[in-house]
Amino acid sequence: MSNQTILTAANVTKTFRMGESVIEVLKGVDLSLNAGEFLAIEGRSGSGKSTLLHILSALDECNSGSIHYDGRDIAGMSPKGRCELRNAQFGFVFQFYYLLPELNVLENTLLPAMVQHSVLSFRRNSGALRKRAIDVLTELGMEHRLKHKPQQLSGGERQRVAIARALMNSPKVLFADEPTGNLDIETGRQIMHVLEMLHDKGQTIVMVTHDRTIARQTDRVVVLAEGRLREVH
Amino acid sequence: MYKLHLILKYLRKRRIAWVSLIAVTLCTAMVLVVISVMGGWLRMFEEKFHGLSGDIMITTSLRGFSHYQEMVDQIEKLPEVVAAAPVIEAYGLLDIGRQKRDGVQVIGYPIDKIGKINKFIDSLYFQHQQYVEAANQPGASSVQKAELLKQARDAAAHASFSFSPLDAATRADLAKRQQRNNWPGMIVGSGVLEIRKDRNGDTVGRELFKYEMPATLVLFNSQAKNLSDPSEITRRAYWIADDSHTGVYQYDGQAIYIPFDIAQQDMGMAAQQVTTADNRQLTQPARTHQIHVKLKAGVEPLAAKDKIREIVDNVMQEARRKDEALAAPLSWTDIVPKVETWRENKAMWIAAVEHEKILVVFLFSMISVVAVFLIFCIFYMIVVEKTRDIGIIKSVGATATGVAGIFLGYGAAIGIVGGGLGFFAGFIIVSYINEIHTALGRWMGIQIWNPEVYVFDRIPSQIDPTEASIIVGVAILSSIAGAIVPAIRAARMNPVEAVRYE
Repeated sequence: MSNQTILTAANVTKTFRMGESVIEVLKGVDLSLNAGEFLAIEGRSGSGKSTLLHILSALDECNSGSIHYDGRDIAGMSPKGRCELRNAQFGFVFQFYYLLPELNVLENTLLPAMVQHSVLSFRRNSGALRKRAIDVLTELGMEHRLKHKPQQLSGGERQRVAIARALMNSPKVLFADEPTGNLDIETGRQIMHVLEMLHDKGQTIVMVTHDRTIARQTDRVVVLAEGRLREVH
Repeated sequence: MYKLHLILKYLRKRRIAWVSLIAVTLCTAMVLVVISVMGGWLRMFEEKFHGLSGDIMITTSLRGFSHYQEMVDQIEKLPEVVAAAPVIEAYGLLDIGRQKRDGVQVIGYPIDKIGKINKFIDSLYFQHQQYVEAANQPGASSVQKAELLKQARDAAAHASFSFSPLDAATRADLAKRQQRNNWPGMIVGSGVLEIRKDRNGDTVGRELFKYEMPATLVLFNSQAKNLSDPSEITRRAYWIADDSHTGVYQYDGQAIYIPFDIAQQDMGMAAQQVTTADNRQLTQPARTHQIHVKLKAGVEPLAAKDKIREIVDNVMQEARRKDEALAAPLSWTDIVPKVETWRENKAMWIAAVEHEKILVVFLFSMISVVAVFLIFCIFYMIVVEKTRDIGIIKSVGATATGVAGIFLGYGAAIGIVGGGLGFFAGFIIVSYINEIHTALGRWMGIQIWNPEVYVFDRIPSQIDPTEASIIVGVAILSSIAGAIVPAIRAARMNPVEAVRYE
């Protein structure tokens, strides 16, 4: 882990309108993330952890405040710029894996590369890209399932494929939203091993969890409560 | 790359989209068949009717008009003109061998000239078509083919009413028994002789004994005032020289062709001596019903028509002056012939079918709108069903334009595949439409195409490449149009809301 700050959030707020009432989920969140750091955002269900993660990863927009990645203000970026950021710089792992059912394991993993490349460029670099996808899947122990469809995989295997997809374009930051939340204890432990292994190799990871045991396995834990972040260790 | 990859995946895996595909296929095939048959009918009408008339037609009522020979001579001197010939068209009663009696359309042709003006000679079986049919037999070698086609050309060049398909001995025997040496020859429409195609497409009914039978034609004087007066009716015996198959039911089923001068004579239209009230002996000029004019290739018919009209007007004016000088109405100068292009002459038919074609295109456009709406509904369902997938694709960096592109491309793919399949199905149906029609008639007793109504004995079976391209193009555009709104909806989705969609 280096001391170089890669991502910062300052005074971030987010509100949701539910009919007549307005719910203020984030009430001025400040956060900084160093390169190579493994950060856990802990909090109770409904505390706004996932919302904060979505905002940090450019999937959603905040109402006010600023988020800077690598010196650039994400909030001020064009929709196309945010898409490029999500594709090339960030990787995202969802709690429920969210794999495309029509695509097999290899194709799901290749999806970010397909988004990044035009038809011609993809065909030209097809060999290298496929090798990269297979390497990532091999690293995650999924090399024997390349042609399988998501519905033919177990929960743990699906989450490994989701992680492989997130890693495909070698992102600077990996965001994981409750990556073990939908898995049994043993499988969840295996997924945590995978994330730790990636962290050991220098991958910056931001993980959201409501499980304190899981959170303790990271470098740093922040707790989101009442719309504000509190440093734990 | 992801757009193409997902489009191809969805095209193969999303079976609900196959409903759109089938709708596009059926619409394309249906429109192609209808447009091809109607457009083909128009083309065939133009080709066949134009083939049986001149480019310019000078016409009048059944009484006919005089001084036609002066007109023909002057018209033929125009640089735009290939040839001009008078034609008589009337109605008569025909009796063939006392076995078949029918009302017929009688056409008087100067056969030595008519080949320069229209394609009538090409329709004669013994004097042209039999050689062409033999040349087109599958077994014919290229040498045989060339020889047979040469024979067809030679026979057509010498086509005449004096021809007979019978051998010399039979002819001599008949001449002795029937005293037919002085009879003129007559060419009859193939349908008049009941020559037709059987269920297998083979020609039946062209037995030679039919050409041995005497044919008697009864014609009425063109100026007849009292049809019960026997002097107003001419009865003449003919032998049947040949049969004509033009492909136009109206002609093949009802028309007979006789020499122009005989028709003129029997209808009282030849030049004749008359005595005026003041006892002067004058010659009443010969008349015809029509003059057909063939123009040189590339000549604009409307421009040539004006020149020909000028000639007709001048000839008639000159005739009127002479008439006035004689102080006797002999020249039929009160009758002013009409000068028209062949298209103007048949405008009523052509306009009716063109209007019908527009109406059918409009009706099928409405059906296509239904197909577009069907595509819209199916795509909307797919977008709703694929909401989470859209969120996933956006989460890995796909732009709104890219997501819209997936669904527009998907629509285009359905249009291309459906339009292509529809074109193929339409092409097969149109190509074998006569065989399909025959089979339907054989198995189910259905006859959709009535040649008496639709003029031709065969359903047009040619596809116009331009029309086919437009139909397939519209199918593709319609499919894209149906996908536009769902694509916009997909593009506008928020990725977080989309992945959470239940």
